Amino acid sequence: MFVWLGVALYNNNTRAYSACALLRARLSGSGYWRPLWSGRKLKDAYDVVVVGAGGHGLATAFHLARDHGLKRVAVLEKRLVGYGNVGRNTTIVRSNYLLPENHYFYEDSLRRYETLSKDLNYNVMYSPRGVVDLALSDDDFAGLARRGNAMLLAGIDVELMDVAALEHYCPELEPRRRRRFPILGALVQRRGGTVRHDAVAWGYARAATAHGVDIIEDCEVTGVRTNGGGATGVETNRGYVQAERIVFATAGHTGMIGTMLGVPLPIETHLLQAMVSEPVKPLLHTVLVYVSPGHGEVYISQSDRGGLVMGGHLDGFPSYTREGRWDRLEDVVQGAVELLPRIGAIKILRQWAGTNDMTMDGSPIIDRLRYDNVFLNAGWCYGGFKTIPASGAACATLVATGSAPDLIKAFRLSRFATGHLLDERGAGPFPVRQ
Amino acid sequence: MTRLICPFCGPRELREFEFHKTLPAAPGSAFSRTYERVDRHEHSVEHWQHVEGCRGWLLVHRNPTTGEVLETRLLGGAAAGGAP
Repeated sequence: MFVWLGVALYNNNTRAYSACALLRARLSGSGYWRPLWSGRKLKDAYDVVVVGAGGHGLATAFHLARDHGLKRVAVLEKRLVGYGNVGRNTTIVRSNYLLPENHYFYEDSLRRYETLSKDLNYNVMYSPRGVVDLALSDDDFAGLARRGNAMLLAGIDVELMDVAALEHYCPELEPRRRRRFPILGALVQRRGGTVRHDAVAWGYARAATAHGVDIIEDCEVTGVRTNGGGATGVETNRGYVQAERIVFATAGHTGMIGTMLGVPLPIETHLLQAMVSEPVKPLLHTVLVYVSPGHGEVYISQSDRGGLVMGGHLDGFPSYTREGRWDRLEDVVQGAVELLPRIGAIKILRQWAGTNDMTMDGSPIIDRLRYDNVFLNAGWCYGGFKTIPASGAACATLVATGSAPDLIKAFRLSRFATGHLLDERGAGPFPVRQ
Repeated sequence: MTRLICPFCGPRELREFEFHKTLPAAPGSAFSRTYERVDRHEHSVEHWQHVEGCRGWLLVHRNPTTGEVLETRLLGGAAAGGAP
């Protein structure tokens, strides 16, 4: 009796998840659980308006409310929570990057992912199943060794494995099998793996709402109102909203934000495809990443439902269609079957594409945009999902305190003019090659 | 968008072509041409190359929102037409 009379309220009517809560819900009957984030009304004025309810926007709002105590924060979303890239990626998290500015940042993010379920009180299904970067040529192996050494110098754990070690770690790969392009070794990050992508969006949305953030869906920002020295608010399809600070986290639509503010940005929007097969029994326990000499980049993992989740390289030209090109899908599948011939008989179930905000050097931008109180969180290229926790925390600090934490100092917008590029692949100013 | 019309070779599969860059609307500095992009949702003018065909350089007008090809012509040459 007392168990459910003493119903504990997390903030704002959001019920905390626990074993006790399950029991309480069982005894209270229907109506115990509340909607996670819907039902908030749009107010006239806010301290911070975040545009875009994807991973980065929601995480930024969550940290603004929880860490910096801002009470009047809104997230405005044109479509639905998690409609964009946070629900379209291949769910891989890792921090095996070459450049110090990148690997410290991605490592911070991976460490936050490890405890995210607890921080959000929401199971995001972090699965440290290991990320295996395969070498199919001597050049690949030398490149991976270089990347691994850079990481070890930074104190990030990673292992360079030869074929014998790889056979022990990932026997289902059959590393010694005769192939046209034999496996020579791999760079393995054991803490890397997968996280349930939708759960990250839902978990942040719920936790942000619990800390008083208003998440407003079907609310499209159409313009920014300024008074010369700064922005005063945003025009939306539901009317004008006054805002002391504005954060744009709009991924593939960042170019439109540039147009809105009259600033050309070093960003092109490209499509990245992913696909999933019909569910099968467990046949792959890690995440495989490699460059197939014949078919380009491929990454494969098996979801908890059993589907093989696969992705590859960009479609190769700017587009907003969210329809991937057919021949890229073909490339990815051929590259996957070449490495794992046993998956050849499995059928592809679904295929989709996301719009990626590709920068000129392949690294992100978290900085002010034109005005002192307008902020941009963009340019995530393929790295968006795995950086959500670090980006949200760092961006919130920048917005709340006005100064960028050390972790993101290198991600400033002016680096393209000053020449301090973060070109992880050394590919030059061509987004399509990043 | 699955095909492009090459003025020399006719309609060919998209995989034979390689996108090179988007052209700026107005001439600008070298920095601006290299690093800055103005978002064009309706009409984008691009350089492509028919790398697995005649290797000719093409000027392609496209709508990136719908994927429609508006016009393809050889750089400095005659138009080949609209979408295949």
